[in-house]
Amino acid sequence: MAKKILIVDDSESIRLVVGTALRAEGYEVIVGNDGQHALDLLLESGGVNLIVSDLNMPILDGISFLKEVRKLDKYKYLPFLILTTESQESKKMEAKQSGATGWIIKPFVKEKLIAVVKKVIS
Amino acid sequence: MDEMKETYIQEANELLENLESSLLSLESNPNDGSNIEQVFRVMHTLKGNSSMFGLTKIAEFVHDLETIYDKIRQNEMQLSKPILDTTLLALDHLNKIIIDSELEEEDNQLNHTNLIAQIHTFIGKSGSVEKKEDSSVETEQDVEGPITYHVMFAPDASIFLDGTNPLILVSELTGLGKNIVIPHFKAQSIEEFNPLDCITFWDVFIETDKSIDDIKDVFVFVEDSSTIVINELKYTNLVSNKEFGEYVSSYMFKEKSIDVNEINELADKVGESSVKESSKAVEVTPVKAQTEAKVTTKKEAKEKVLSSIRVSSDKLDELMNLVSELVTTQASLTLFSQKNESPELEVISENIEKLSRRLRDIAFGMTLVPINNMFSRFQRLVRDVSNSLGKEVQFVTEGGETELDKSIIETLTDPLMHIIRNSLDHGLELPETREEQNKPRKGTVKLKAFYSGISVYIQIIDDGKGIDAEIIRNKAIAKGFVSPEQELSDKEIFDFIFYPGFSTAEVVTDISGRGVGMDVVKRNITDLKGSIVVESAVGVGTTLTIKLPLSLSIIDGLLVEIAKVNYIIPLSVVNKCYEVSNSEMKGNFNKLLVLDDKQIPFINIRREFGYKQQPDEEKSQIIVVSDADRKVGISVDHIVGEYQAVVKPIGKYYKNQDFISGATILGDGSIALVMDSHKIIDLYTEHSKLETK
Amino acid sequence: MKAEFSNEQAGGETKSFLSFKLDNENFTIPVMKIMEILEVPKITKVPQAPNFLVGVINLRGAVLPVIDTRVKFSMSPIEYTINTCILVLSIEVNDEVIEVGALVDSVSEVFELNEARILPSPTIATKYRADYIKGMIQEDDHFLMVLDIDKVFSSNDLESISEYKEEKLDETQD
Repeated sequence: MAKKILIVDDSESIRLVVGTALRAEGYEVIVGNDGQHALDLLLESGGVNLIVSDLNMPILDGISFLKEVRKLDKYKYLPFLILTTESQESKKMEAKQSGATGWIIKPFVKEKLIAVVKKVIS
Repeated sequence: MDEMKETYIQEANELLENLESSLLSLESNPNDGSNIEQVFRVMHTLKGNSSMFGLTKIAEFVHDLETIYDKIRQNEMQLSKPILDTTLLALDHLNKIIIDSELEEEDNQLNHTNLIAQIHTFIGKSGSVEKKEDSSVETEQDVEGPITYHVMFAPDASIFLDGTNPLILVSELTGLGKNIVIPHFKAQSIEEFNPLDCITFWDVFIETDKSIDDIKDVFVFVEDSSTIVINELKYTNLVSNKEFGEYVSSYMFKEKSIDVNEINELADKVGESSVKESSKAVEVTPVKAQTEAKVTTKKEAKEKVLSSIRVSSDKLDELMNLVSELVTTQASLTLFSQKNESPELEVISENIEKLSRRLRDIAFGMTLVPINNMFSRFQRLVRDVSNSLGKEVQFVTEGGETELDKSIIETLTDPLMHIIRNSLDHGLELPETREEQNKPRKGTVKLKAFYSGISVYIQIIDDGKGIDAEIIRNKAIAKGFVSPEQELSDKEIFDFIFYPGFSTAEVVTDISGRGVGMDVVKRNITDLKGSIVVESAVGVGTTLTIKLPLSLSIIDGLLVEIAKVNYIIPLSVVNKCYEVSNSEMKGNFNKLLVLDDKQIPFINIRREFGYKQQPDEEKSQIIVVSDADRKVGISVDHIVGEYQAVVKPIGKYYKNQDFISGATILGDGSIALVMDSHKIIDLYTEHSKLETK
Repeated sequence: MKAEFSNEQAGGETKSFLSFKLDNENFTIPVMKIMEILEVPKITKVPQAPNFLVGVINLRGAVLPVIDTRVKFSMSPIEYTINTCILVLSIEVNDEVIEVGALVDSVSEVFELNEARILPSPTIATKYRADYIKGMIQEDDHFLMVLDIDKVFSSNDLESISEYKEEKLDETQD
């Protein structure tokens, strides 16, 4: 059965690029527009193998979303990657401390994305 | 990739629109922190998206722009008019290069260079664009053949808690070359024992021609919390050496990691040819987290940013049709349940009514977009045009929350811009002239939107010099549109403005005369099945009123009966209902009734509509409706009740009977006619239509 | 058979026609233009409208305007009998196709007709507006007027019809 990845970003362009790249690798992809939406999707999904999320999002931002996910028993150990730009160095630390598994730096090439995903996906 | 590029462009356009309105708000409120944040955030997103698509010229451009606002929000710089002006110009440029991302057009290239130079003067960068520093590259050793490394990886006890699986990391490491893996367990006493802890750690010997960076890379996410030691060993081929392998295997599951000196001794013992420099140990130890990152989870409660998805308009059309059918069918159900006096059925049908009402509101809300979006585009226009004309203008909007079908808004934009340009160019006077006339220096252009009946009205009102009907009339005569003897009302005279070839401006200025005449404006509006009317008074100002039908309507109405014919009055205009005796209305020549101690004009619809028969009952109901800023009463025989009406057009044949805006089918299949109260009041009372100040 | 007459249609296509009565006159139109035929339901009158607009009806959820064809032909308004019915017509007005209901006194029959047999209408002293009539058919000893329905119900035509002559044609018919 294909592994499921939940991607979350308020930019439609990013969602499209990441989603397409992941699907091409054979992953099943669920897409959220912001942290709150993603949380709802996660709960409905019955389980995913990885979450890839942007940080700057309206309603519920990346870090808050991450924290909410970690509160749930089912997803305490779920791999969680954040999407971040190089100018957000401190965010990487903050994310790690909040329980993120790792990060992908924007802009990224498809190969790098896939490599990191493979690195952490459960 | 084309679909993606299109999405990028669509999204970029939205971002730029957003950016423009924030910048304009910033202009009026330079100290509003949330606007600066918004500007920064939008630029940041745009930059990110652009680099995702490899549009580096755009990304770098935005990056520089973003730097300005980053400095401003960190209080390293102050917002100033030159900065704002440049930013707005940069925005215009961005609009162009979103499409011409490689700057193939000369104009764009020129602007690009100029704007960058200007931006740099603000952020203090001199000379050409600085390239981002490449991250330092460690020179790799020029070795022939693979190197043997010893890697000690001791994950933090809590490593599982961020979803990391150390085994995956180990397997990634071993994927780099030939290897020996020696796992160890840290002892934990029963009391300490925590099943969530990671107590395994590894010694891994790996022979690889990859660089030390590649090895470090494996642990990039965990290097801050786990202990990683990488030793470059001086011998090659240790891993394949059987003796060496046996020896280190004896350390398996021991509590201690293998000491590097021991390894070296072992290696010596086993003995291999090439002697290298003393092994380098690269220890990567957990680094204390830097100063607690400021957690700024500012929920952007101030902005109305809503997540959204794109839906095809075909699906929407279908949805709305179905909803209309549902509402009509539900009305029959309600009627049936009432007639059949089954309480259970009544409850059920009431529930269905509530649900279908909500469904209707949501479905119809989908294509409707507040007219505000369009208004903010005009802000920019007014600002730019008034600046270049040397006029001082205040742009006011009213009713921005009025919703219109999105496609209609898009079609309206051009005609409205033209009208506004006209107002600014020909309508409003120069500040000095205005002062001479005891008018305020600042002219006002007001954009107003509101509903009436099942139509939307959009008005452009200026307090400029007005249009002289005489001049128009003479011009019309000169052009042969009308004969000199013909008597015309002001309204009819102003209508000539919309004739093709009619332009009162002697000189077609660059601003308002781009070959788009008022006749084109009118055509755009009639294409939307709307109408446009001009009212004006010399020295006072001009008002243009555009009336548009709402594309599809389900409205909440008041169902009434007049001479056994059913009518619907939109609830949105209904104020209050009173009962009045017919004799009171009959002898009433003033056409005024006293209701709640106020004098309210009323219309005897029976009479005005030409119903000859006398009413059955002694009493009539007066429905008081609101019309702009006054109240008028409409008399009916009976009030039947509230009704959710799916309004259908009654067709071209009835275009002159525009006081009826449509018809709806009642639960029993009969038809009720929907009144346009605004039009009825216009027709049957003598009030002037010009907005009273 | 090549048309020797000055008809719009070339050649001789055979089409179905429906004939109906207004007062004692027979008229006919191509069946293609008729969507359906209805018994007269409740008609809701729209106030302050011209005489020939009788009102609107509910046709399975759509609102259909109904025209008194007799008034259009300068006859007295229709008087409802059991034979009165509404022809739901699909007509073309200003490049738009719209539906309208036409009240007629009765419908007679459907028949096949070769269009080449449509004779030009007499130009002398026509009783009805020339552009309403496409031509005439002689059927046995009846004369049937073939109507140009698009012209008859053109919504631009809000002029009063009373200005047209009411001279009776010299016809040898029943």
